[in-house]
Amino acid sequence: MASDQQPLLEGHTVSKYFGGLAAVNNVDFAIYPGEIVGLIGPNGSGKTTLFDCLSRLQNIDSGKVFFKGRDVTRARPYQVARMGLTRTFQSVRVYRKMTVHRNMLISHQWRDTSILSMLQPSRASTAQRAYQLLDFLQIRHLADEEAGHLSGGQRRLLEIGMALMPDPDILLLDEATSGVNPTLIETIKDRIRTLNEQGKTFLLIEHNINFIADLCSRVYVLNYGEKLAEGTPQKILQNEAVIDAYFGA
Amino acid sequence: MGTGPPVKTSEEKAKRKLSLPFLAPVHSLLAGWVGLTLWLLLLLLLALYPYTGVSSVALFVGSQIFVLVTLASNWNLIGGMTGYVDFGHAVFFGIGAYIMGILVTGSPLLISPEWGFWQALPASGVAAALFALLIGLPTLRLKGPYFSIAMLGTLVAMREIARVLRPFTGGGVGLNLPPLLNRLGDYYLMLAVMGLVVSIIWWIQRSQFGQSLIAIREDEIGAEMRGINTTLHKIVAFMIAAFFTGIVGGFWAWQNTYIDPDVVFVEARTVEMVMMSMLGGLGTVWGPPLGAVVIYFLQDLLWGSLFGVHLVALGVLLVVIVLFMPEGILGTLGDRSSTSLGRLLSRVGRSK
Amino acid sequence: MDQLLQALVSGLLLGGFYAVMVLGFSVIWGVMGVINLAHGEFLMIGAYMAWGLFRLFGMDPFASLVLILPLMFLVGYLLQIVLINRIVERPHLMTLLVTFGVSIALANLFKILFDADPRNVAVAYNGSVQLAGVTFPIVKTIIFGAALVIMVCLHLFLQRSRLGKSIRAAAQNKTAARIVGVDINRVYAITAGICIALTAAAGAMLSPTQAIFPFMGPPFTLKAVTITALGGLGRIPGALMGGMVLGITEIFVSTYVAGIGTNLGVATSFVLLVLILIVRPQGIMGGLRPIDAEAE
Ligand SMILES: Nc1ncnc2c1ncn2[C@@H]1O[C@H](COP(=O)(O)OP(=O)(O)OP(=O)(O)O)[C@@H](O)[C@H]1O
Ligand SMILES: [Mg+2]
Repeated sequence: MASDQQPLLEGHTVSKYFGGLAAVNNVDFAIYPGEIVGLIGPNGSGKTTLFDCLSRLQNIDSGKVFFKGRDVTRARPYQVARMGLTRTFQSVRVYRKMTVHRNMLISHQWRDTSILSMLQPSRASTAQRAYQLLDFLQIRHLADEEAGHLSGGQRRLLEIGMALMPDPDILLLDEATSGVNPTLIETIKDRIRTLNEQGKTFLLIEHNINFIADLCSRVYVLNYGEKLAEGTPQKILQNEAVIDAYFGA
Repeated sequence: MGTGPPVKTSEEKAKRKLSLPFLAPVHSLLAGWVGLTLWLLLLLLLALYPYTGVSSVALFVGSQIFVLVTLASNWNLIGGMTGYVDFGHAVFFGIGAYIMGILVTGSPLLISPEWGFWQALPASGVAAALFALLIGLPTLRLKGPYFSIAMLGTLVAMREIARVLRPFTGGGVGLNLPPLLNRLGDYYLMLAVMGLVVSIIWWIQRSQFGQSLIAIREDEIGAEMRGINTTLHKIVAFMIAAFFTGIVGGFWAWQNTYIDPDVVFVEARTVEMVMMSMLGGLGTVWGPPLGAVVIYFLQDLLWGSLFGVHLVALGVLLVVIVLFMPEGILGTLGDRSSTSLGRLLSRVGRSK
Repeated sequence: MDQLLQALVSGLLLGGFYAVMVLGFSVIWGVMGVINLAHGEFLMIGAYMAWGLFRLFGMDPFASLVLILPLMFLVGYLLQIVLINRIVERPHLMTLLVTFGVSIALANLFKILFDADPRNVAVAYNGSVQLAGVTFPIVKTIIFGAALVIMVCLHLFLQRSRLGKSIRAAAQNKTAARIVGVDINRVYAITAGICIALTAAAGAMLSPTQAIFPFMGPPFTLKAVTITALGGLGRIPGALMGGMVLGITEIFVSTYVAGIGTNLGVATSFVLLVLILIVRPQGIMGGLRPIDAEAE
């Protein structure tokens, strides 16, 4: 990978503790523009916690995180979001009482936070963009449905749409395929590929190894909060330690 | 303690039975320009009303209703739209009243010359908004019931402080303001304030700012993660709500010509605001004004103001509404933008 | 030095009262998850009862506990059956709104019944004794003693008696308690009865020391919240500790903040409360469930 480039998202010895438990322990990583990177590991290995640290939902106890070269270790969540880092959640987080379309609009409004525009309703162009994205994700027909009425898989798609609305540079997807039927998984895979070709960077948490193998150029493996291995999917899947962690005792 | 799933479903069933969703198109019309036009028309009619040769009592009643509508709409901005159920909102009313009292009497602080009403009125609002900034920075970080209790604490603490700061506030004895009776002026002033406040709420509700507030109510963490500066939004909404509540407080002090800690920093006034909003429909534009009018006439018709019976009734009514009508009038009539109280409660109050 | 010692003693005496005052509030919260904003009003009712018995029959406020406790137990029992059972286990905000309504209704009802004039219970032994250069107000010292006795009794009741064990079981796990055959509704009603009775008793004991009026309740409710945040939910040692901390803080403020400190009890406890909740949302001793929008 283009190592002469500056990383888009970079972490140095990132750690997060819950009481005595090191949920994320001294993890180093670097993600370059245009990559699709996987993050795998057994249940409870700290993947979601790492996401929470990067998106600033959780405080980072030690270490540093840089995004686009800027230190965001202590940034507020909305600030990293505005800089172009968006994410989805393992337990889907949509505004259930609002329509699907409204959900999309709300995820976009801070693109222009001048007082004047905050006092206006969402622009027509934003509404248009929301419809296009819903089309792209094949849930346009649900636009006027309340988000709470959607099925689990449809909600995952909506959440991806919400993360895409502000045209971010990097998307962090937390188990985007869990609870989604195989056809829909193919759709998601296809969409991620298309977006990546358009220049979006991805960091994916997945338990679905095929999904990772098909999409990712590189994979990080976490185990008990520590980075166990990194490399191409093929190499990782032959790594003794990784096989041990996943399938061993 | 979590809400058990069986409880919730039966609750939701009961709600569905009550609502009339086929009215939804009407509601969405009212939330748009049609609603504003009708509102402006109503304001025009109300402005013409004094020309029909009404008594000064009728004018007084009018200004009282306008006060209630303003208070309810204000409370709704923070309690209904943003989802921060403020049990101490009357504190801003009290601050406004005291700023008015101190400035126009001038005496305690030896301000000379004393300020006129028209200078003091905006000052009441500004003082309340600044106080909201000061108190909101810590309290708006608290969630759900803790915010409510902290604001109730603010109210009771301010009552105590107003009693103690005798040189400024006259202590428990209170302040006497110059009695200058002008029922017609009062009527038009409060009509203007009410017109402005409700129009602002209408505007906010359809703006991106208002939609962000609703996003915060629905899922604050989600909103923050999607780029909304939740702290700033909450503070601004809180300050707007406090500003106009302060204005009303200042006006009330002027009209009542007497204030002391026990008449302005009083829990019952908060309950009134909470209840008018809830009765009409939390988080809607037209619900709280509707609730305010209903409450006013209920009080007037059923209980009068005799011996404070209406205050007892106020408390009982709050219990009854929470238990039996959590969606409010508009919610019951099928307005989807109304957050049912039940939903707001279970969202904000989810405790596990 | 003398002033410091005096402040400490006064603070401890006040703290003992606060500890017994908060018990009813904290146990209802701990066992049923109901934050009772009408707490102060039940205290006010107790004070009025003591005043009435004193006026009519010259009954000593401490002796009148014999009547007030069973009577208010009944009130609490009935209130639970009629109203509180509907809001147990419901979202906190709902219980807040309902009990807030009850509080407003009760305070104003008493205003209609007894008007707003402050009432006093002037007991004969309202003096004080000097001991080692420190002043001990007699009534407050008796309250302190009574508070300790009440707390020990409640502690024994909860730990030793069958009923007490049922209450604790219900507090920890409602479903499990039900499975082992505890009649939850009855246990709740008895808990509410005990709590309301205790609160009214605190009010009755308080009656010789301060003016009684319909709107005296809310400051006590707020102090109860603060003490609970300090000491944890439904725990007697916690209540004692929290009560002491608040009592001493309050007395220190009134001793050392010149001129205006005396009447800043609520403001003090308010500042304390907000600080605690921001620094440690779960309360100093834990147990206040942090309200987190994240949880589903
Ligand atoms: N808020 C929290 N408080 C305490 N411990 C936590 C918290 N969040 C996570 N943990 C712990 O941190 C560890 C890592 O959890 P995390 O959710 O990051 O795992 P994960 O890799 O995402 O697992 P999964 O594949 O099951 O989603 C777990 O042991 C978990 O119990
Ligand atoms: Mg996870």
